[in-house]
This record gives sequence, C-alpha cells and structure tokens, in this order.
Amino acid sequence: MPAIASVKGIKPYQSSAWRITIIFSALVTLIIGTLLFGMYRQLMNEQELQTDQHLASEKARYQQMAMTLDRRSFGIQVKTADPNTALVVWRNSFDLVGALSFIPDDMPMLPQTREFPILTGGPDKLHILTGGLVMTRYGPVLIATRTDQLGTLIERFINVAITALMLAIVLTLALGYLFSKAILRRLVQYNRLSRLIEKGEYSTRLPVSWRQDEFDMLAVKFNGVLDTLENNLTAVRGATDNIAHDLRTPLSHLRIGLEQLPDKTSQELPEACAILTEELDHCLATFDAMLSLTRIEEGQQTLELQDLSIKDMCEDLFEMAEAMAELNQQTLLLSTGEDIKVTGDKYLLFQALFNLVDNAIKYAGDGATIEIVQTGREIQIRDNGPGIPSEAKDRVFERLVRLDPSRHNKGTGLGLSLVKAILVRHNAKVTLSDNQPGLVVRINF
Amino acid sequence: MKILLVEDDTTTIEYVVKGFIEQGHNIETASDGHQGLLLATSMTYDLVILDRMLPQLDGLKLLAALRATGSQTPVLILSALSHVDERVKGLRAGGDDYMTKPFAFSELLVRAEKLMQRGLSQPTETKLSVGNLVMELLTRKVTLDGSELMLQPKEFQLLKYLMEHPNQVVSRTLLFEAVWDYHFDPRTNVIDVHIAKLRRKFEELGFGELIETVRGAGYRLREGH
Repeated sequence: MPAIASVKGIKPYQSSAWRITIIFSALVTLIIGTLLFGMYRQLMNEQELQTDQHLASEKARYQQMAMTLDRRSFGIQVKTADPNTALVVWRNSFDLVGALSFIPDDMPMLPQTREFPILTGGPDKLHILTGGLVMTRYGPVLIATRTDQLGTLIERFINVAITALMLAIVLTLALGYLFSKAILRRLVQYNRLSRLIEKGEYSTRLPVSWRQDEFDMLAVKFNGVLDTLENNLTAVRGATDNIAHDLRTPLSHLRIGLEQLPDKTSQELPEACAILTEELDHCLATFDAMLSLTRIEEGQQTLELQDLSIKDMCEDLFEMAEAMAELNQQTLLLSTGEDIKVTGDKYLLFQALFNLVDNAIKYAGDGATIEIVQTGREIQIRDNGPGIPSEAKDRVFERLVRLDPSRHNKGTGLGLSLVKAILVRHNAKVTLSDNQPGLVVRINF
Repeated sequence: MKILLVEDDTTTIEYVVKGFIEQGHNIETASDGHQGLLLATSMTYDLVILDRMLPQLDGLKLLAALRATGSQTPVLILSALSHVDERVKGLRAGGDDYMTKPFAFSELLVRAEKLMQRGLSQPTETKLSVGNLVMELLTRKVTLDGSELMLQPKEFQLLKYLMEHPNQVVSRTLLFEAVWDYHFDPRTNVIDVHIAKLRRKFEELGFGELIETVRGAGYRLREGH
C-alpha cells in the first residue's frame, strides 16, 4: 500500500522523466560548451596567427626600408607610418620617433611578441598592444599592433555563448518539466483506476489514446489482463452457483434419507444405507473432481511423464469401453494406424480419453455407432448420435456446464473441463466438429 | 495378524479397530507420530496402517524413519490427500499401498489382507477354488460345477480377483485397479458392465447368484449356495 499511495503524491521533479531531463540538459550544456570552447580556441589561434604574420611582414618592410633609405627618410617613414597598419617607434639616438612616446623595457625581438598597455587621450584611455623589437641599421624599432578590439570581440563572444548556454538549459528544463508532468498525469490516472479495480470495480478499463505510444501499449496489455481476470471471476461465480446446485440435490437426498432411517425395518436398513452411501460418494466424487481439475489447470500437479504408445492406449480404451457400448446396443469400433510414441502422464491421459469415449457412449443414444480412430498423432472419437449444436461447442469445456438443463444424467459436469485441462497440460489440441450427424472429437498430440 | 494403526482421528480409529477385531485381527493404536514410530520400531507387526497428517511427526517422515531402521513391515498409507502425485509420493517414501479418505472398511480389509499375506511367503498357488468354481492359473481354464466357462482376458482377471477374496465385499476401485493398470476413479459403470457379462456366463449354467452386488460397496463372490 505505501508504495502505491506515494505514486499519487509524487511531484513532477521526482519522476523519472525529470531525471532524464536533468541528464539531458547536462548533456546539452556539455556539448554546447565544448563546441563554444572549441570555437573560441580556434578564433584565438587564428587571431594570434594573423597578428604574428602582420608583425612579421611589417618587420620585413622596415628592415628593407632601413637598408635602402638614408637615416632622415627612414625617420620620416617611421613618423608618417599609418597607425592603423602598425604603431612604429624608432629610437633615433636619444629621441623617440613614431606613434608612441616610449618603448617598454624587456621587449622581445620579433617574432617573439609581448602585450603591453598604453594610455591615450581618447575615450578608451587604456589600450592593449602586442608587439616586438626589430634591429635595423639605424637602431631598434618597436613594431606593435592593437589587439584590444580582439579582446572586446572575444568578450562579446563569451557573453553570447553564456547566454546561449543558459537559454539551452532553461529551455530543456522547462520542456522536461512539462513532459514529466504530462507523463505523471497519465500515471496518476492509471494509479487512480487501479485503485478502483483494487476496490472491486473489475469493469474499470484504462483509457487508450489515438497516439499508440508505450503508455497505450501498456494500457492495452493491462486491459487484456483485466478482461481475463473478469472472465475468470465470472466463471468462478458461475461455477460456485453450479456447485451449490450440484451438491444441494444429493445432500438434500441424504438429509431426507437420514431422517427416514429410524423408521426402517431391519430388513430395509442395509439397502437404505447403501443408497445413502452412493449419494455421499457422488458428492465426494464431485469434490475430488473439482480439486484435481484445479490442480491440473493451475499446474500444481506434477505429471509423471513417460513414453506412451497412442496405439496401445486406444486398444485399452476399446477393451474397457466395448462392454459399456454393448449394454446400450451400441457398436464400438476401433481402427489404429502407425504406432506413435508420445510423452505424457499415463493415468491422466488415459482418463481424458476414457472420459471422451464414456461421454460418447452416454450421449450418442441407443443403437449408435462409436468409432475410435487413431492415425499418426491424431485420435478421433466419432459418433453418429445427436451431436452438439455448434454454438455450444466451446461452452461444453467450461466447468460444470451441462447442456442438459435438468441435469438428470448422473455426472459431475467436470468431465470435459478435466479432459481439456489434461490435454492442455500435454500440449495437445482438442477440437469438436460435426460428424453429420453426430460429433467428432479430434485430439492432436 | 497383528496390526498397528497410527491415526489421530478418533472416529476413524473406532471404525477401523471395530472392523479388524470383528475379522479376528489383533490391532493396536497410536495417536501421534512419535508414539507410532516408537511402537513400530519396538514391536513386531504384520502391517502398519499409517495416516499422513499426524501430530508431532508427519506420516511420511515416520515412514522414512521406519524404513531407515531396515524394517520391511508392510505399510498402508491412509490419507485425505487424494491426488495422484500424493499417492506417488507416499509409495515412493516406502509405502506399500495408498488409500484415500473417506474409505469403505471392506476395501481397507481387502488391501490390508493382501499386504499381510505377502509377508507369509505362501507357496504360489496354481489353482484357485471357491465352492464349485475352479480356476487353473497356468492353463487359464475355469470350470463351474464341472462345465468349462469361456472367459475373455479381462473377465478372467476380474474373476481371479474375486476368487482370491471369497465372501468379501470387493469395491469397484479395487477391481478396476486389479484388471486395468490405470489409477483413476472412472466414475462410470465400466466395472458393472464387465461384471454383468461375467454374471451372464454364470447364469447360463444356473449360478447367476454367485456374484452378488452389494449396493453402495461393490461385489462379493459367494461360496456355494
């Protein structure tokens, strides 16, 4: 009970769908994060490569100029250098010529570079430059380029990336929450309905939607189980009524007989007692048959398996039943074919076959012809009596069903159920069909 | 013959004890498993009749313990458990026969006597005779008052069983088991039909009343008129 009760009170975030959502969103975050980081690294590398190439080409240009130009022209070139291409500073003896008013200490020689900050009078006062020294004929020249726009770019990139990540997480979580809520709603509904069933409303069925998803599959399966259960319950109820009816008659006979016993003369007494014993035996036989039927149907009875010859069994059957048929002026015929061995419980199988032949003798009527025909793995028991109406052919195998409503023929009403149960346990198939006129019972092993 | 009955239900005890004493047997009782095992191992009996459901020690365990001491005393198991596999279990545990409750005393008597005679190592008989009815087992020739009866194999087996228990009521179940090697209650008149055929052959010679129907119990072969 507590396990079931807690399902109803479950919160969406406790459900397995939510757990999957969490795992999923973590995965999405990881994937997007890795992608962004990769892109970031790629971008950085590309930028560094470009800066390095740019500085290298500037270095080559200034070395070339120092070789071809005189000192003054070189100075002019440095002074008029376009600051958008590169910032160049030349230490001309004691003066600094160029775009910057200083050369930081410890600047490495190109192609090694170093980042250094400068102050300007513009709105963005602090700038970051990347650069290095070049040795020329006229002394060291610092070539640098602005990389702080790149920094801004990267910063923007990171902001966008973080926003995207957050959005992804929030979206997956929100979707997951709704998703698990939707799943839970169906589960809670199933749970509510199973409580109804638990309380005894066996006609309750789970709803099946048009979606044909796994929940619908589950519902269909569950409804199937409920159908079987309900059928069985109905059968048991019917059987109980029938048992009551079946046992009531002999029991009331017994009661009457017992009441009358004291009035019997000593000559009548043994006969009267014998009649009562017979009635009682009939009740006991019905009980025994019920019990063994249940045991066989539910597989509690272990089968004593051995190799059996179908042919031999048919011959025994014939020998046992022949005299019974004779008594009703019936003809019993036997025809056997190839000797086939099947594995089974000798007593149970024989009992099943005997019940079928016994039924044929009982119900085919005086003067009928009954045949036991064995061919290969099939046994047929055919008669030319009144047969069974086709709409009743399935019903005769049910417990305590007797087609004769007056039930005047002595029997437990369990014979055919027992036959069916035994044959089912032996994986054999039994079918009833019309013999025109009469009945054919086919048993296929 | 000395019999031990191990049983806890007093109604059954009274019924069985009365029956065996009337038949001239000596019977002792034990009402629980321990007492039963003690008696069965300390005294000598010709037969032990054992209930399956006993206080203190289950019937099958008692049987296993008894067999473990090397005792060969025939044991007949009485039980309310009627299913074939229970029967098989009982026989596997060392029982010699199995009967389900409720039972008729006449059937218990026949089964008990059959088991007790087994221990007597009688010389195997070749001829049975009951009154003017003679059966030669080797030639399978049966004569009634000097005239030969032509019997079918099953009729022969039925008559043989009846002749082995003259003047006793033999139940349909016993006859069914004796003639056919199948253990189930046929719940039908199969035995009656075969007995009727046998009786008709007796009637032809004017001895139809030798095979007597005992209502509610079975059949009895009478010795003479």
